[in-house]
Amino acid sequence: MTAHPTAAQPPVEVFESGDAALRVVASSPDREANWATVHALAAWLDNAGADGVHGAVPTYDSLLVEFDPAVTSARQVRAFVLLGLRQLEFAGVPARAPREFLVPVVYGGEYGPDLERVAEQQQLSVDEVIQLHTTKAYVIRCLGAPAGSPMMDGPDFPFPVPRLKDPRLSVPAGAVSVAGRQAVIAPAMAPGGWCVIGQTPLTVLDAGSEPLVPYVPGDALRFLQIHPEDFAQYEGRKLEAIR
Amino acid sequence: MSLVIQQPGNSVVTDLGRFRGPRFGLPVNGALDQFSARAANILAGNGDDAPLLEVTALDFRMRATTDLLIAVTGAPLRLTVGGRECQQWEPVSVQAGETIALRRMHGGLRAYIAVHGSVDAPVLLGSCAPDTVVGFGLRLAEGTELKTSRSVPPIRQPYFDLPLFRLGLTRPEFHSTAVVEVTDGPDVEEFGDTAELLYNTEYTVSGRSNHIGLRLGGALPERQSTAEVLSRGVPVGAVEVPSREELLVLHRGRGVTAGYPVLAVVTSRSLDVLAQARPGHKITFRRTSVTEATAKHRAALRELETLRSKVGTVFSLLGIGNQPGRHQPLPAAGT
Repeated sequence: MTAHPTAAQPPVEVFESGDAALRVVASSPDREANWATVHALAAWLDNAGADGVHGAVPTYDSLLVEFDPAVTSARQVRAFVLLGLRQLEFAGVPARAPREFLVPVVYGGEYGPDLERVAEQQQLSVDEVIQLHTTKAYVIRCLGAPAGSPMMDGPDFPFPVPRLKDPRLSVPAGAVSVAGRQAVIAPAMAPGGWCVIGQTPLTVLDAGSEPLVPYVPGDALRFLQIHPEDFAQYEGRKLEAIR
Repeated sequence: MSLVIQQPGNSVVTDLGRFRGPRFGLPVNGALDQFSARAANILAGNGDDAPLLEVTALDFRMRATTDLLIAVTGAPLRLTVGGRECQQWEPVSVQAGETIALRRMHGGLRAYIAVHGSVDAPVLLGSCAPDTVVGFGLRLAEGTELKTSRSVPPIRQPYFDLPLFRLGLTRPEFHSTAVVEVTDGPDVEEFGDTAELLYNTEYTVSGRSNHIGLRLGGALPERQSTAEVLSRGVPVGAVEVPSREELLVLHRGRGVTAGYPVLAVVTSRSLDVLAQARPGHKITFRRTSVTEATAKHRAALRELETLRSKVGTVFSLLGIGNQPGRHQPLPAAGT
């Protein structure tokens, strides 16, 4: 089940994913365009609020659209998705000013047990790894598991970072990790196979408020190195946009 | 008006799930056996999505401080109210002070207790379903007091020994071997010919299974490519092969995004079957189409609609509550 809409529209493929979901994949050679397409389409679907469509989960080049098969069907939702693409083609994507977040991090030691391993694997010093990690402004690409983790393109390391051979059963909330060419912060305690290089004392996830996490895809994030003795000073504060 | 938990076993208050969750990175969660949960609420005169109790595997007891009407569905077990043996899959009258006990669950793994008028539970993004990752939800403990909202005077059985209600719902069957229907996943081609192993193998449910996913032992299809997969949204029911040891079938507590190829997807109807699979049970997979899966799902919901109208008739004759409303409109067959 593959759709190739007319040439003017972004090239998109639609795959069956069971009786209650579809996977939409933007398949142009331009990664940024693919990312923009799936996120714009997710926003369009949310705003359209079609009967029986539960919502959409956009990531990098793909979008999972979930629906209630009692109310609608894979065929109807697929037609609706293609309609959305056509509308976006006409109307364009409404611009939204990205916000910026600054995240204090204690690197290494008990806070970042994999920092030295990552440095060794990258053939860099620990300071160079921290330097590369704090230099960049990251774009939050999507919200991932667990609990709305901000998934970002990783620091400009020379090599992709291998995942842990034995994933940890428990990684604390605030853990700052890298894997492959990606970077992330853990909003909640969960098992994890990524390399943990540091930890932020800030509270990322607030289950008592909506939205649960303060950022949305497209927002920017920077890391700032702090000393272990300053960890307590920030602890319990919420992550908030600085602009 | 309340229920006081005496023996919690492994029990929570849940509903049909947090359907707005996935876009915020939270799994849908909610009752794992959706048919049994809906049936319990309908039998208790509630909307399908009303908060209810999900009891997993272990014995459970609670005491009513008021007269209530309840219904217990899901896995077969021994249900007693005030020491009297009672039927599952039927409305059951409970008098103030009586203890409701669920013992010796067998054949399946999860039972549902709905209470007429439902119970109070905290809500996050429109659902009371517990989320173990963000630490949200109402897990029951000894002494937990659940607030109930409607009292129902005892319904007298005029003819001794006859069941109180005869509502004629076809109950699901519970076996230690189950056939689970799946449709081809979006990444089936990455597994080449080895994908067929999924349909020719008998798998055994591992003890490491939970609401996030079931782990199944048996011959494993193998991905033919080694290209890195970018994280993407994965549906509930996704069948993946993350390791060389086990097959992973994601259930309602699954992380919303992952980077493993999706070999197949379990149908909505068969997710209920998996919800009842105990460690050691045997599973075989059968390939179906999305059209057929949708038709079966809708047929099951129509059966529940029939039940709802019968319950509505009986309850209005007995003067219980309001006519139970339908939770959501159901389209005609075949749309």
